[in-house]
Amino acid sequence: MNQPLIDKNNIPRPEKAVFPSGAKGSGNESEPVLPSRADEIRELNEVKSQLEEAKNILEIRVNAKTKALRDLASGLEEEVKARTQELRQKVEESENSRMALMNMLEDMEDLRRRAEEEKEKTLAIITALADGLMFFDHHDRLALINPRMESFFGITRIESKNMTGQSIAECFRAPKLKLLGKLMGDGLANISRKELFLDEKNVFEVSVLEVAGHAGKIGTILLVHDISREKMVEKMKTEFVSIAAHQLRTPISAIKWTLRMILDGDLGPINEEQEEFLDKTYKSNERMINLINDLLNVTRIEEGRHLYTLTIADMEEVVAGLMANYEDIARQKKLKLNFEKISPIIPPVKVDLEKIKLVISNLIENALKYTPAGGNIFVTLGEEEGMVFLEVKDTGIGIPEEQQNRVFTKYFRGANAIKAETEGTGLGLFIAKNIVETHGGSIGFVSKKDEGTAFSFTLPPAPDPLIEA
Amino acid sequence: MKKILLIEDEELIIKLLSKKLDAAGYDVALAMNGQEGIEKMRENMPDLVLLDIVMPRMGGFEVMAEMKKDEKLAKIPVIIISNSGQPLELERAKELGAADWLVKTEFDPKEVADKIQKYIGE
Repeated sequence: MNQPLIDKNNIPRPEKAVFPSGAKGSGNESEPVLPSRADEIRELNEVKSQLEEAKNILEIRVNAKTKALRDLASGLEEEVKARTQELRQKVEESENSRMALMNMLEDMEDLRRRAEEEKEKTLAIITALADGLMFFDHHDRLALINPRMESFFGITRIESKNMTGQSIAECFRAPKLKLLGKLMGDGLANISRKELFLDEKNVFEVSVLEVAGHAGKIGTILLVHDISREKMVEKMKTEFVSIAAHQLRTPISAIKWTLRMILDGDLGPINEEQEEFLDKTYKSNERMINLINDLLNVTRIEEGRHLYTLTIADMEEVVAGLMANYEDIARQKKLKLNFEKISPIIPPVKVDLEKIKLVISNLIENALKYTPAGGNIFVTLGEEEGMVFLEVKDTGIGIPEEQQNRVFTKYFRGANAIKAETEGTGLGLFIAKNIVETHGGSIGFVSKKDEGTAFSFTLPPAPDPLIEA
Repeated sequence: MKKILLIEDEELIIKLLSKKLDAAGYDVALAMNGQEGIEKMRENMPDLVLLDIVMPRMGGFEVMAEMKKDEKLAKIPVIIISNSGQPLELERAKELGAADWLVKTEFDPKEVADKIQKYIGE
């Protein structure tokens, strides 16, 4: 490479023919010309120089060619080197890619294993669950049934295997699930805590929940909770209270009835003094009845949380009916009982009527009890922000401010309330709150000592059948 | 005259109630337990049955269950008079077709007579 490159076009060429005509000896002439000796030498020299020149030229050309070849060779070598380098790089790259892929595969395997573990965990939970569970996929086909569910309904492994993949309707046609199917109705509507009486000893609570993920509905879970024990306890409690009530009330109701009939003159005439004594005895007996009622009513606390029969009711009718019961008492106590409906239309409500009546009675009775003679009680019914509300406002003794935060707690009675009225359990408002909240409403009050109290509660309106349909 | 069958085991209550109902112009028949009550019903179809719940041998719920089985007896209105009255009991009575449930300590004989009048008239 240290030699300068020679331009091919500039390679010198001989100007004269190396073998001039006549000196070629090609054999075309039969007779050679014999030149003179000096001529000969000159010619020879000339030829020699021509040859040397030719030799030089050739040498230059060969050199040039050699150099070109060498250059070419070195160029090729460079190229090979570069290619090799490139290939090496490629190999390295592919090796890297392979490693990356291997890593990814490993990660995937790891993820798969973890997912598998999660699945196993979930399955273990479902299997060990104390509740029976059926899972229907988004096509409403049975995807899973857990062992508890099988044991609750006496389904064998084989039967549940056969059921897997079946539609809801097909599953509920199975003889062992017929009662459940009957409870469910047409399909798997969202229900909560519906009771299923399988037989005397087995009572279940059924709930249906739709499960949704990012991409919409995943499926539906049907949960079956065993409440046989609770039902048994409830029954025992009812029986116990029933016996206690019977034992305690039997003699007392006999006394009440006897005194009442004597006082009414049904058993012959009595004089004024006798009447006075008997009346006092009757009143003592009534107090005894109230005490026993309070004692038995402790069980009513639990009742507040349990709605038995829901019916559509018109609150105006309910309130009017109840207020009629209190007119006499209000008159006796010299109180004015007022009713006002402040909204033209009160939407119907869907309630456990007995329970709601208990709430209203509790509020009206409290107002009657704790309002001094000459006072007023205003009962207002209306509709506000889509809720039905009822307010019972009085001009009574009020609730001391420092005690207002305890109004809805069990057994609470205001200090001034105890002075005004010795009887009372402090359960009424506690029960009322339970009942109202179980219905999806809320209850509250405003009160000022010696000025009065206003209790009000709300209830959601019954679903509109037209919209429902 | 409307016929009333009083099924009740407590003597004082029977005496008081029958006196009141006599005075109100009803024809009152008596039975001291459920079994006797069913027999009397079959003999002499009453217009209304006043029924106690806790009684020896056959209680009020069993009487109603028995009445429900008999097409004729099932039509007779039944008013329960009891010393108890819990939601579960009321529910059961309703299922068995009772017309009303009166807790004895909350009502007196006059009010019982008023209730009867409401269901069957004088």
